[in-house]
Amino acid sequence: MTLTVLVVDDEAPARDRLRSMLLEAEGFELAGEAENGRRALELCDTLQPDIVLLDVRMPGIDGLEVARHLATLTEPPAVIFITAFDEYALQAFDSEAIAYLLKPIRAEKLQAALAKAGRLTRPQLQQVANATRESARRSHIGVRGRDGLKLIPVDEVRCFVADQKYTTVRHQGGEDLIDDSLKTLEEELGTGFVRIHRNALVNTRYLERIARDASGQHFVYLRGLAEPLEVSRRMAGDLKDRFRI
Amino acid sequence: MSSAAREAATRDPGPPRQLYLPDFCRARAVLAIVVICELTALVLALARNEVVLGFWPDLGRTSMFLLWIGLFGAGMLCALRSYLNRQSLNKGSAIVLALTAALVMLISSIAWWFFNRVAWLGGGEVVLQDHWTFLVRNVGITLVVTALALRYFYVTHEWRHNVELQAKARVHALQARIRPHFLFNSMNTIAALTRSNPARAEEAVQDLADLFRANLSEKRNQIPLSDEIEVARTYQRMEQLRLGERLSVEWKIDSLPRDALVPGLTLQPLLENAIYHGVEPRPDGGVVRVVGEFNKGMITIVVRNPLPAPNLTMREGNRLALANIRERLDLMYGERATVKAGRFDDEYIVTLRFPFQAADGASRN
Repeated sequence: MTLTVLVVDDEAPARDRLRSMLLEAEGFELAGEAENGRRALELCDTLQPDIVLLDVRMPGIDGLEVARHLATLTEPPAVIFITAFDEYALQAFDSEAIAYLLKPIRAEKLQAALAKAGRLTRPQLQQVANATRESARRSHIGVRGRDGLKLIPVDEVRCFVADQKYTTVRHQGGEDLIDDSLKTLEEELGTGFVRIHRNALVNTRYLERIARDASGQHFVYLRGLAEPLEVSRRMAGDLKDRFRI
Repeated sequence: MSSAAREAATRDPGPPRQLYLPDFCRARAVLAIVVICELTALVLALARNEVVLGFWPDLGRTSMFLLWIGLFGAGMLCALRSYLNRQSLNKGSAIVLALTAALVMLISSIAWWFFNRVAWLGGGEVVLQDHWTFLVRNVGITLVVTALALRYFYVTHEWRHNVELQAKARVHALQARIRPHFLFNSMNTIAALTRSNPARAEEAVQDLADLFRANLSEKRNQIPLSDEIEVARTYQRMEQLRLGERLSVEWKIDSLPRDALVPGLTLQPLLENAIYHGVEPRPDGGVVRVVGEFNKGMITIVVRNPLPAPNLTMREGNRLALANIRERLDLMYGERATVKAGRFDDEYIVTLRFPFQAADGASRN
C-alpha cells in the first residue's frame, strides 16, 4: 500500500528537494505541498494525507501550531518535523520520542523516518511547546465544523465561556464550541487573558467597563459583545485594580 | 499609546556616557587628590624659597592649606557625583572648575582671616599680602592645577574606556558570527539546487564561501564601504534563493563614497536582522530599504524593515548585533559616530551615522 505525504515548508527550494526525494522513496507518494501553516491545515482536511512533513519555523501559523491543531483530529496524520537548527525543539523532540529530520535532509534518514512515523499525542506536543517557549502560545484557536477546520485568530477572541461539558469561544465572527478547558486555555494564553469567573476567561484588549447591579453583583462589558458577563466577587477587586475601570 | 510616545519608549539610546571623573567617594580617588595637593605644595615651596620661615615649615603650612582645599573638594565632588555624571563633558568640567575656584576663595578667606587676626602660627613675622591679591593668586594657581588634574583624569578615563570597548568588541564579534539557522538553511537550499539548477548551486556555494570569509577575517577592523556593501549583497542573494518573492531589498546608496572606511560587518548584520525579524516571520514577506546619504563629511545609512506584528518586540539577537556595531563604530570614530534604532509606527528603523574617512586617510566634504 502506498502512503501519501504532504510536504509543508515556506521555502520553495526546500519543497523542491523533498518532492524529488519522495519520488525516489519506495512506497510513498506526494499528496500535496503547502507553503504555510494555514494552507497545510486546509490540505490536511481535503487531501487526508497519511504523513505530514512539517517545517517547524514558518511565518504565521508555525509547524508546532499546525501539529497541535492536527492532534485534535479524530484520525490525525503522522507528523515528521523538519528543522534546520533549533536546540530547544530538538531536545524536546528527543525527550518526547517525536520523529524529526535535520536540514539538509539525507535520503536514508527520510526513508527511515517515513517508515516509522507515528501519530503525535496532545500531551507530547504540549511538552514540546513548553520546551520551545516561543511557540507555546497558539496564534489561532481551531474549531472543527462540518466544513472542516476553522481557525480563529486569538486576537479576535472576546472570551471563552464554559458550561458543564463544553467551552464556547465568542469571537468577531460569532461563537463556536471547542474541546479545550478554561484551565488549559488560561495557562496557555497567559497575560492577554484574565479569568473573571469560574466559568469565564476574557480577552483584556476588549475590556470596556465594569458595572454593579443593585444586589452588588459585578458585571464586565466587552467591546463587541452586547451581553455583559458575571464577575465573581473574588475577582471584582483584582479586576478594578488591574485595569482602573 | 501615541506613535510619538511609543517611539520614545522603544528608541534605544545606547549606554549613557558618564563624566570622566573618578568616584571621589572612594579612597583611591581621594588618595590621588592628596598626592596632587602634596606635589603642588612642593612646587610652591621650592619656587618660593621662603627665607624667614624656612623651607620645611613653609612646605608644611602650604600642605595643610592645600589639603584642606583638596579634601573639602573631594567631599564636594563625592556629594555632587550623580549630578555631575548627568552633565556633558564641557559643562561638567566647567562646573568642577567653578566649584573648585569658589571653594578656594572661601578657604583662602578663612585662612587669611585666621593668619591675620589670630596669627599665632606665623608669630606675626609673616607679612601677608592684602586680602584680594591673596585670593586672586590662589584662585589662579587652583584653576591651572585643577585643569591639569581634570585633563589627567580625562585621559586615564578614555584610555580605560577604550581598553574595555576593545575587549567587549572582541567578545561580541565572536558571538555575532553567522546564525546556525542561516547556515543550515543555506546548505539545504544548495542541496535542492544541485538537482534542479546546478549553475545556481555553484554560485550559491561561492556566495556562502565569501560570507564565511568575511565573517572569519581577522583583518575586518577597517574595510572600504564598497567591500561591506558587497558582503551585504552576497547575503541578500543567499536569502533571496530561500525566500524567493517574499523578500525584496531596495538599495539607494549611490551617493555614498565607496572608499569610506567602516568596521567590517557593519551593514550586513543590519540587513540580516531586517530580514530575520522583519521579513521572514511575515507570511507575505516584505521590503527592506537601505538608504545612504553623504552630507558635510558625514555618512548616514538607514535600514528599515516592516514589523512582523504590531506588538512583537525585537528579540535578543537584534540587541546584541546593534550593541556590537555601536561598539565597533565607537572604537573607530568615538563620539562622532552614532547608532540609533527604534520603532516608528509600523517600521523598525536603524540609523548609522559616522564621519567619512577614506582608506588613504583623507577626509572630504
